[in-house]
Amino acid sequence: MRASQSVREQQPVNMAGVGFRRWAQLLSERKGSGIPALFPGARAAAGLAKDGLPGSFPKTPEEKAAAAKKYNMRVEDYEPYPDNGEGFGDYPKLPDKSQQERDPWYQWDHPDLRRNWGEPMHWDFDMYIRNRVDTTPSPVQWSSACKQLFGFIGGALFLLYLGELFPSYHPVGPKQYPYNNLYLEKGGDPEKQPEEEVKNYEI
Amino acid sequence: MGAHLVRRYITEPDTEPDPRKKFEFDPEFGFDERKEREMVATQEQMNMAQVPVGQRDYCAHYLIKFMKCKRDNWPNIFACKHERHDWDYCQHQDYVMRMKEYERERRLQLRKKRTEAQAEAA
Repeated sequence: MRASQSVREQQPVNMAGVGFRRWAQLLSERKGSGIPALFPGARAAAGLAKDGLPGSFPKTPEEKAAAAKKYNMRVEDYEPYPDNGEGFGDYPKLPDKSQQERDPWYQWDHPDLRRNWGEPMHWDFDMYIRNRVDTTPSPVQWSSACKQLFGFIGGALFLLYLGELFPSYHPVGPKQYPYNNLYLEKGGDPEKQPEEEVKNYEI
Repeated sequence: MGAHLVRRYITEPDTEPDPRKKFEFDPEFGFDERKEREMVATQEQMNMAQVPVGQRDYCAHYLIKFMKCKRDNWPNIFACKHERHDWDYCQHQDYVMRMKEYERERRLQLRKKRTEAQAEAA
């Protein structure tokens, strides 16, 4: 008890208060006032830094080998995007396959992304992560899927047609209603008499 | 279950009645005197109670009592079981009458076919 009390006496200053005072000092040192002063004066430059961008399109075999080495690839596997002015530069063109297609039992460095450290990354990697586009081939062939779907729909339509031809009903007579089968209630002309008087009998 | 459908579509398609068509025999045929069905609720009463058109049948007076009871006892959903039973029983009797009408039509069709066959044979 005593020890903790003495520690408290040695540090009477509230540390949060110190942080706030420094922040307030920083704010007051800057030019301007009000809410705009809270934001940084200069905007960060948009996009990547120069060394983060892909290099220029490789033309000679030496340049290709250098680019392949840069992207941790073998020269045989390295193939850049075609140089038609879209800004891909020497970025490698990787197969359009989703991460979901990869082996789930392999010990990936990053099992959630199914990716190893230093592995070249697809240009649209964010599109092919596991909760987005999946390029896994369907286990059912397109033709048999079509056959199943349209076979089911056609069968259902055929059964509906059969049900129209041969309706199912209970073996009872039609429902009987009073007042000439509700002539007025069903919108009959009150000026005229109904064409035939409907009489229902007990049985 | 479904015997009438077998008769209608397979075994006796000429005599089994079709309830969508008008029954062809005179309702008085074979009776000495037939009692007409009695409608209790008037059209004005049904209009005042806003009974739906499909329920303006011969049980509408029970339905009106039932609806009134439900309105007066809201929100107690267990209050009107006697009124509900009265209305259900009336609907049941109505349904039994329709079953009997169907059976009468079916037997009269069979009788007509039989008498015609006898007339041809004679």
